[in-house]
Amino acid sequence: MKNLLTPKNLFLKISLALAMLVAVMFVCSLIGTESISLKAVFDRTSSQAQINPDYEIFVHVRLPRIILACLVGAALACSGVVFQALLRNPLADPYILGISSGAGLGVIIAVISGLNWTLWGRSPIAVFAFAGALGTVWLVWFIGRLTGRSSVTGLLLAGVVVNAFFSALIMFLTSIAKSQQVHSTIFWLMGNMTEENFSVLWLGAGCILTGALALFYIAPQLNVLSFGAEDAGSMGINIGKVQLAAFAIAALITAVAVSLSGLIGFVGLIVPHAVRLIFGPDHRQLIPLSGIFGAIFLIVADTLARVVVAPAQLPVGVVTAIVGGPFFLILLVKYSRKIGWAGK
Amino acid sequence: MNIIEISNLSFGYSRADVLRGLSFEVEAGCFLAIAGPNGAGKSTLLNLLAGLLKPKSGSITIDKAPIESYSTKAFAGKVAVVRGEFVPIFEFSVSQTVLMARTIHFGPTGFETRADRQIADEALLSTDTAQFASRPLAQLSAGERQRVFIARALAQSTDILLLDEPTSFLDLKHQVGIYDLLKTAQRQKGKTIIVVTHDINLAAQYCDKALLLGADGNYQYGDTTDIFSTHKIEKLFAVKGFHGQVGREKFFLPLGKFAKDNLSNHNQTR
Amino acid sequence: MFIVITWLFCGLGLYRSAISQNRPLIAGALTATSSPERIVSLAPNLTEILFALGLDDKIVGVPLHSNYPPAAANKPKTGTFWQPNIEAVIAAKPDLVITLGFEQQKNIAERLKRIGYKTLTVNIEKVTDFFEAVGIIGQAAGKVSQANQLTSNLRNKLDNIRSLFTGVDRPKVLYVVQRQPLRVAGTDTFVNEMIELAGGKNAIGRTIHKYPPIGAELVYTCGADVIIEPTMDKDNSLQQRQEAIKYWARFQTVPAVRDERIYIIDGDLVCRLGPRLDEAVETIAKCLRPKLFEN
Repeated sequence: MKNLLTPKNLFLKISLALAMLVAVMFVCSLIGTESISLKAVFDRTSSQAQINPDYEIFVHVRLPRIILACLVGAALACSGVVFQALLRNPLADPYILGISSGAGLGVIIAVISGLNWTLWGRSPIAVFAFAGALGTVWLVWFIGRLTGRSSVTGLLLAGVVVNAFFSALIMFLTSIAKSQQVHSTIFWLMGNMTEENFSVLWLGAGCILTGALALFYIAPQLNVLSFGAEDAGSMGINIGKVQLAAFAIAALITAVAVSLSGLIGFVGLIVPHAVRLIFGPDHRQLIPLSGIFGAIFLIVADTLARVVVAPAQLPVGVVTAIVGGPFFLILLVKYSRKIGWAGK
Repeated sequence: MNIIEISNLSFGYSRADVLRGLSFEVEAGCFLAIAGPNGAGKSTLLNLLAGLLKPKSGSITIDKAPIESYSTKAFAGKVAVVRGEFVPIFEFSVSQTVLMARTIHFGPTGFETRADRQIADEALLSTDTAQFASRPLAQLSAGERQRVFIARALAQSTDILLLDEPTSFLDLKHQVGIYDLLKTAQRQKGKTIIVVTHDINLAAQYCDKALLLGADGNYQYGDTTDIFSTHKIEKLFAVKGFHGQVGREKFFLPLGKFAKDNLSNHNQTR
Repeated sequence: MFIVITWLFCGLGLYRSAISQNRPLIAGALTATSSPERIVSLAPNLTEILFALGLDDKIVGVPLHSNYPPAAANKPKTGTFWQPNIEAVIAAKPDLVITLGFEQQKNIAERLKRIGYKTLTVNIEKVTDFFEAVGIIGQAAGKVSQANQLTSNLRNKLDNIRSLFTGVDRPKVLYVVQRQPLRVAGTDTFVNEMIELAGGKNAIGRTIHKYPPIGAELVYTCGADVIIEPTMDKDNSLQQRQEAIKYWARFQTVPAVRDERIYIIDGDLVCRLGPRLDEAVETIAKCLRPKLFEN
């Protein structure tokens, strides 16, 4: 049997991809509205009294931002893979089951109520976004379960309904909120990469890494599940458990990503697709490679967002949408004939 | 040795029971055909045997243990199910598809062992699909795909194989090919094979035993020679036709009102 | 796998750096008593205040479309008002960064503070805030006497204007910031304060929003005597006035429209709460009582 995945093969691919990631991170850290030179960054011989702007910009502005883009991109891509597998639909993305409207609702409630709950040094907005995202997606899950255990359509419809309802709530709350609060809410939701504490980044990295590893562990079962749920059962896969586990992990890492950087669209849709087109649908390589390429994609998108209309900055969601929108349309046309909208 | 024992099985989706008081035993290594008119409960029975439905009353035991006592994983080691072929939404190749049957046996890294690959290889060879190994399922014909699905079930290395109308949409060559394949699996590997089928003639030629399910809940179980006798078929299927004898087995050609050779029309001139 | 090890290693590194946290304040030579030498302002009115306090040579960064005073246009730019560019700020090597208090700028101030820069955030939403801010900035920049002088000068000028209309009726003003949809300045804004300082009063009552969108009904019933629209394009004001008159023509029952008391004023001047407060108030006062200023 040729073309089959072996541990060695996979290791090689992951290593190459990681090398690419490091290279991209390095190159993009040198791109920005201010030109800095690497030599100046490491020139610590100047006395402490002198400010070294190159160092400051590199270490405190660029690096955290790139790391953040890396984490969020990886999280969204991995979670996109999972949702596409669970829903057996290549047009699914991490927000399809209510995470986006849930996060939005959380944020606007945080802003309006003025409640100051912080957690681990994260702002109230981030905390509420996380809670909103997670709460909503579980709500959709439970509603979906009412329509049948492995019914995909039920889940999708529940997601649509909840999204619609929450969006209406958001619009209502927005219209009675003070304009300043609204402005900052919308700005936050559009997706923004700001520098965070390294400790926050470290914690986020831990969450996302753990999630990705757990997903890799259940990747063979995801393969079978994404083929067809009925067959999966007769092949010995505990469908309920695998679905629940995959869903829980994907929801968690998406919520973490959203709380770190707002809603950035298309990463979770395009990257899994592109990786699947090139490498095939085997989740054992789809998950790690999507994560890495998701990171690369977002880092590059963020770099573009930073410099394209300098000195202003585009929200990174705009760049991903501009790249992602046309790609999505092409995919829609290509796949619409193949997908029966009632899942098997 | 009876590998499957069904005792007083009843099941219904709503108030009316589709199956009532069904009892029979299947010997190990037997090739059983389940036939009957639409709505008689053939697929329902198959789903009950596959552990996907819970009986209202009665019991099913596999290898002397009731179905409920098996874990999902253990059960998958006993019973494999083949349904109609389809093209999955994601482009899995033939070999990936067949290897999925071995997922529960994968090592801790989540990769197949050499033994798994061997089993899958064998399955591909025995179903004559090895030449398609790296092709995506979408590029095969329906008949070839059905063979791949059977290969996957074979790779599961179970004693029992359940098939739900495996040849419904296939042409004659592939129909015969599939049954030949199944008969080989029965003979060479001693598998117990249960097929739900509409094609009673093909079943008569290949199967050892037959279970005829009637729309009103009654059933008949026995050797194919007994079961596929004229009056039973005509009564159960509510259709008249021509009966003939090929060699060991009989065949039945259903003839409707306007069929050319309808016997009661012989005297009329057109 | 090695990624996990890398992650753990990073964690250790962070932990070690956290416990040995003795980063010197990047403010460099700035000690408690000396005044800042390199100041960055992130808002146009802050820039104006700095210039008014005589700090022009110490300013090393202003927002993008700074146009007053004219010298501000030559200073290095640090991003826009709504989106300050943190890299540009850092590249200017400031020892003091002054920002306003709304979300985006407060955010930037937090980030800069986290990195170790000295920041000063002032809320300038009302006239009293403004005077306070002048004092705070004066103190931070070591220009206390200039700050006091600026404040007292301004207060005098405002008093002068007020003296022109004591005991006279206050005309009702509809201050229109946007036409589609129709948005006006509410009572909880500094614009309203300017209107009152200029001897007028707001045509609409209290609203939830500061700059509420209002319906046509309210326009009919508010009985505004004067309609004021600020514009960013002062070169075209005559033409804009014609357009405005045409737009408001359907509200014939409103006194302002009937008497053609529709005025287009310099938005740049009036929408900024800065040291030209007196000029802004005077501009509005001229709209309210044109005859009084004709001499």
